[in-house]
Amino acid sequence: MKKALNVLIFTGLFGLIGCQQENSINIQQAPLKVSFSHTASNKVLELGKPLLNPFGEVYTINSFSYYISHFSLITVQGSEVELPVSYFLISEKQPVSKKINFDAPAGNYKAIRLMIGVDSTRNVSGVQSGALDPVNGMFWTWNTGYIFAKLEGKSPASIAPMQNVTYHIGGFSSPYNAIRMVELPLPEVLKLRAGGQANLSVEANVDAWFNSKNPIRITQEAFCMNPGTLALKISENYANMFTVLKVNN
Amino acid sequence: MKNNRTILSAFLIISFLWIAVACQKTGIQEVSPTDPVPVPFTVPAGWPAPLYNFTGNPLTMQGIELGRKLFYDGRLSKDGNFPCASCHQQVAAFATFDHDLSHGFNNQFTTRNAPALQNLAWQSTFHHDGGINHLDVQPIAPITAPNEMAESLQNVIVKLSMEASYKKMFLEAFGTEQMKTENIMKAMSQFMLMMVSSSSKYDEVQRGKATFNLPESLGYKIFKEKKCNSCHVEPFFTDQSFRNTGLAMLPILVDRGRMRITGNAIDSLKFKVPSLRNVMVSYPYMHDGRIRDIFAVLEHYNTGVVKGPTTDPLVKNGIPLSNFEKGQLVAFLNTLTDQAFINNQQLAQP
Repeated sequence: MKKALNVLIFTGLFGLIGCQQENSINIQQAPLKVSFSHTASNKVLELGKPLLNPFGEVYTINSFSYYISHFSLITVQGSEVELPVSYFLISEKQPVSKKINFDAPAGNYKAIRLMIGVDSTRNVSGVQSGALDPVNGMFWTWNTGYIFAKLEGKSPASIAPMQNVTYHIGGFSSPYNAIRMVELPLPEVLKLRAGGQANLSVEANVDAWFNSKNPIRITQEAFCMNPGTLALKISENYANMFTVLKVNN
Repeated sequence: MKNNRTILSAFLIISFLWIAVACQKTGIQEVSPTDPVPVPFTVPAGWPAPLYNFTGNPLTMQGIELGRKLFYDGRLSKDGNFPCASCHQQVAAFATFDHDLSHGFNNQFTTRNAPALQNLAWQSTFHHDGGINHLDVQPIAPITAPNEMAESLQNVIVKLSMEASYKKMFLEAFGTEQMKTENIMKAMSQFMLMMVSSSSKYDEVQRGKATFNLPESLGYKIFKEKKCNSCHVEPFFTDQSFRNTGLAMLPILVDRGRMRITGNAIDSLKFKVPSLRNVMVSYPYMHDGRIRDIFAVLEHYNTGVVKGPTTDPLVKNGIPLSNFEKGQLVAFLNTLTDQAFINNQQLAQP
C-alpha cells in the first residue's frame, strides 16, 4: 500500500511536470484595452486636410501607420512584467486597428513599455502572417525588412515628384537600427483586475516626427525609403510621439 | 501482497489515465490519410548541411506540386504574361536564356540579368545585391516590382482564390483553402528548394564515377592555379560574398550593387559572386548580362578589369590568361553543366 502511494505520488508529480506549461498560468489575467488617437498641429488628425508642421510647412497626410509590439508593464514597485510577444499594425485608415486588446497579469502598474517596429528576428526569419503579413504593405521587398512606421502625404514644400512627402522608416541592423523601445509613464496607476475593463488612451502626435530630437524639414527631407541615417533620425523623433492621456480602471 | 499489487496496478492505470487526459491538448496529433506526404531533402554526398530551415516549412509532395504550379502561373503577374518562369527558364538553369537584362510588364527592362536558380537551400542571401535575406520572401520582390510582374499580393490572392484547382491544392498542401502570403510563399520555396544541381560531370568525377578528359583536367588545374576558386569556392562555385570585379558602372543603369542595400560606400559596385554551375547554359554573363560570351568573360579578367576604390584585390591587377589556358578553362567549365538538372521533368512546367 505504501508502495502504491509512492507510485501515485511519483506519477502525480510526473503528471505535473509533464503538463507544466498548462498549469503555470496561475496568476490571474486581466483584460487591457489600449485605444490610440492621432493628432497633428494640435488637432485630431484628419487624412487629406491641410496641416502645419512645427516649422510652419504646409502639408497633408494620406496615410499614417506603424507597428507596435513587445509590450511590458512596469509595476508600481518598478519591476518589469513582459507580456507575450504580439504584433499590432496601427493604421489611421483602419479605425478598428486603433483599438487593441490583450491580457496582462493582474496588478498595479505605473508605466507601459512597447517597441515601435518589428524585432530583428521577425525581419530575418522569412514570411510571416497576421499583422506582419507583407500583404499589409509595410514590407520592403527588395531589401528585406519591415517598414516600422509610414507617413505619406503631400506638401508644396516638397521637391519630390508630385510634391510627395514619403517617410518609410525601418532598418533592423547596425548601424541603422531604427527599432525603438519606449516607456510611457501613466498619468495614474493602472489597476488591472480579473474581470475588469481597464483602458489606456494613448495619443500619437505626428508633430514629433518633424521636431523632437532631430529637426526634419520637408524642404530638406521630403522622402525616406531606406534604412539609413535619415530613417534613424526620424525613428528617434517618433519615439517621442506617444503620450498616455488617460487611464480608465 | 497480491491485493497490494492489484491496488498498485489500479493506481497506476488511474494515474496514467489522468496524465493522458490532463495532457491531451499537448499530445501528438494523429496522422490522417489526407495529410500531405513528406518528402525528404537529400543532401548530395560531401556537401554541407543546408542553411534553409526545413522545420519551418517541411517539404511535402503536395506543397512542392503547388509551388511548381505557382512558379509557372502567369496569374502571379499583372497582365498574366509573366510567370516566374518567364525569366527563370529551366533550359538556362532557371536564368533567362540569351537575354542580358530581364524584362517584364509593359515592355519594361529591369537593371539586371536574371540569376540562375539552383542549390537555393544553401544560399544565405538572394539577388545580385543580396538584399533579400530569406528564400520565403524572395518571390515578393519580382511579383510586386512594377517593371517585372507588376502585381500586388492582394490581387494574386484574389486571382488564385477564384480557381477551384488552387483551393484543392492549398487544402491538400496546407490543410486550408485559405490563401495567404505565407502559404503561397512557402509552397514556392518548397518547389525552388528542389532545384538542386549536383549531377554534372564535375560531380560525377568528384564521386569517382567519371574521369575528366585532358582539356577538362588541365582546365580544373588552371582554375585552381589561377585562384578562380578563391571566390568560386567548391562545391557551389561561389563563396556568396560581394565583390567588385572591375566592371565599369554603366551610366544608363547607375547600379551600385551591394551599396544600395548597406548604404556603405565600401560596398559600391559590389555584386554577389555567381555560381559557375551551369555557367555555359546561363549566358549572358555578369550582373547586367553585359558580356555574352564566356571567352569574353575570361578576357575581362585577363585585360579588362577597371581599377576603382572598391575593386577586389584578387582581380585588381588582372588574371593573366593565355588563349590556351582560356580554352582549357572553358573545357572545365563545360563539366559544370548539369543535363539531369536542366532536363528534370519534375522541375518542368506541370
